[in-house]
Amino acid sequence: MRVYVLKRLLQIVPTVVMITLVVFVMMQSIPGDPVVALLGDAYTEEDAVRVRAEYGLDKPVLVQYAIWLGKLARGDWGVSIMTGRPVFQDVLVRLPVTLELIVLSMAVALAIAIPAAIIGALRQNTWADYTATTVAMVGVSIPEFFIGVLLLLAFSIGMSGALPSSGWVYLPGTCPTIVCAAGLLGNAQHVLMPALALGVGRAALLTRLLRASMLEVIRTEYVTTARAKGLSERPVVLKHALKNALIPTVTVMGLQVGFLIGGAIVVETLFAMPGLGTFGIDAIIARDYQQVQGFALLTAIAFVVINLIVDLTYTVLDPRIRYA
Amino acid sequence: MAMKPIRGGSLSEAEVATVPRVGWEAVAERSESPLVEGLRRLRRSTTALVGVAIVALLLVVAIFADVLAPRSPIASDQTRTFARPSWDHPLGTDQLGRDMLSRVIHGTRISLLVGVSSVLLALFVGVPFGMIAGYYGGRVDTLIMRVMDLILAFPIYLLAIILMVIFTPTAGLIGTMKVTGAIAIVRIPIYARLVRGSVLSIKEKEYVEASRALGVRDPSILFRHVLPNCLAPIIVTTTLGIATSIIVEATLSFLGLGTQPPTPSWGWDLKANVAFIQANAWLALFPGLAIFVTVLGFNLFGDGLRDALDPRLK
Repeated sequence: MRVYVLKRLLQIVPTVVMITLVVFVMMQSIPGDPVVALLGDAYTEEDAVRVRAEYGLDKPVLVQYAIWLGKLARGDWGVSIMTGRPVFQDVLVRLPVTLELIVLSMAVALAIAIPAAIIGALRQNTWADYTATTVAMVGVSIPEFFIGVLLLLAFSIGMSGALPSSGWVYLPGTCPTIVCAAGLLGNAQHVLMPALALGVGRAALLTRLLRASMLEVIRTEYVTTARAKGLSERPVVLKHALKNALIPTVTVMGLQVGFLIGGAIVVETLFAMPGLGTFGIDAIIARDYQQVQGFALLTAIAFVVINLIVDLTYTVLDPRIRYA
Repeated sequence: MAMKPIRGGSLSEAEVATVPRVGWEAVAERSESPLVEGLRRLRRSTTALVGVAIVALLLVVAIFADVLAPRSPIASDQTRTFARPSWDHPLGTDQLGRDMLSRVIHGTRISLLVGVSSVLLALFVGVPFGMIAGYYGGRVDTLIMRVMDLILAFPIYLLAIILMVIFTPTAGLIGTMKVTGAIAIVRIPIYARLVRGSVLSIKEKEYVEASRALGVRDPSILFRHVLPNCLAPIIVTTTLGIATSIIVEATLSFLGLGTQPPTPSWGWDLKANVAFIQANAWLALFPGLAIFVTVLGFNLFGDGLRDALDPRLK
């Protein structure tokens, strides 16, 4: 297991290097002169020469990439044109909010999907099953931002502002500035709707997949054996069937991480959360390409790391998988 | 009348992609053509027929949008801003006094155009790449698949967002084409990987070896013998992919990176009207419902197609 974890960690290195290359090429492809982005429209030729030399823009592209890569490794992700602050510092401050949203939405998805799939599979072709599969089909067809709008209508507007429609209260101890709102209850109130908006769609997909997987597993011989030896239904379903049915579900969860990250960007924008998503979109609108670069890099790296975690989950779920 | 429940197994392209190899070979020994048999099964599926009906209706709306829309989707009337739904404006008007029904009807055109064309574009690029990688193997395979892996290393939305930053969002047909291109690029690896997997197994079949022994040239083998046997998963992925592409287009528009106004777009309209939902909830509801119904239609159709073309995936 340890060897496998080490191997997977080492495999991340070339992937991350390739990601940096793609992000660099993409940033180079953005139309417009970076000098104009840095100095505005009114600048002298001397200013332009100075800025080009300062940022290494007068060097060959490959040299520029090597310099940039070296800076990245040292934690120098450039300085925001908009705020004047180091980009690396800014993206790191935003990351916990996005991670909290993603983790909670996954928890929401599993909390809905597991019972719904178990009921659907154990009571196949009954109204309970039909309801679960119909709701799941509807769920996979609604985009996160529309679920968010419906939640806003229900809980922020419909129930006299029971839940806040925007803003953020940090978890205690995670406040990035000297003065900011922090508190457990406030955080829960602010994160509930975004996590539901992001989690419901994934729940629908996982329900459909897990139900199909459960249907296969409960017909296997080891489940019949478990029942035959007198085990009650609860351990048969939870220990024998569900654990094995979860394996293909985890595969799809890994494939869904990309959608989850994208969904987080949209949901953060809708609920005005100070996460990585709003950071990226604000940077794009302001044409602050240093920030856009930082956003793209950290999001892509987070995607790789989350996929690694999902990958490692296999070994916990199914000890038969011998990676090492 | 009791409503027939929607039934089905698992859905999504992700699930289709996890199946190691699917095709029509499984039913090849039967006398009836797999396509005919698949269509017969499709006709028996209530789920699929509901999907087909929704998709057909949407196609009619998109084609005849100019006739069906009561007003111009971009003509504003400052004297009738935020009008509630009425006979005059069945879905009300937005903050610029534009008729929401006309915008929703014209939005169908953009959504379907981007959804269908981006998937077809990805298909026409991804399928040949997948076929070449799978059939020839070796360095060609390594090169193609590493490029595909590189694209897949990025979350789909992030890549689409960066591509739209590079392309610079604009209005009109050009803007729509840019969104189509961005979504197509992120979808190419899905087809390449899917087809490569199928080709790897099909190329070992006796009929392919026989064709080779007879001196049939590679392009002919690929297009006449290999491709037809990969069609089932391609068709299913394409149908479900249209649903995903429509959501990605709406999401890009919602973020302000899709087709720009005044071109009607459901995602953009939803975003623009969210600010006013406290007093005018319907404004955000209708574009959202339009996205939902469209995606549901393609998902039901794709689900039914999958069950019909390859029952093993059910």
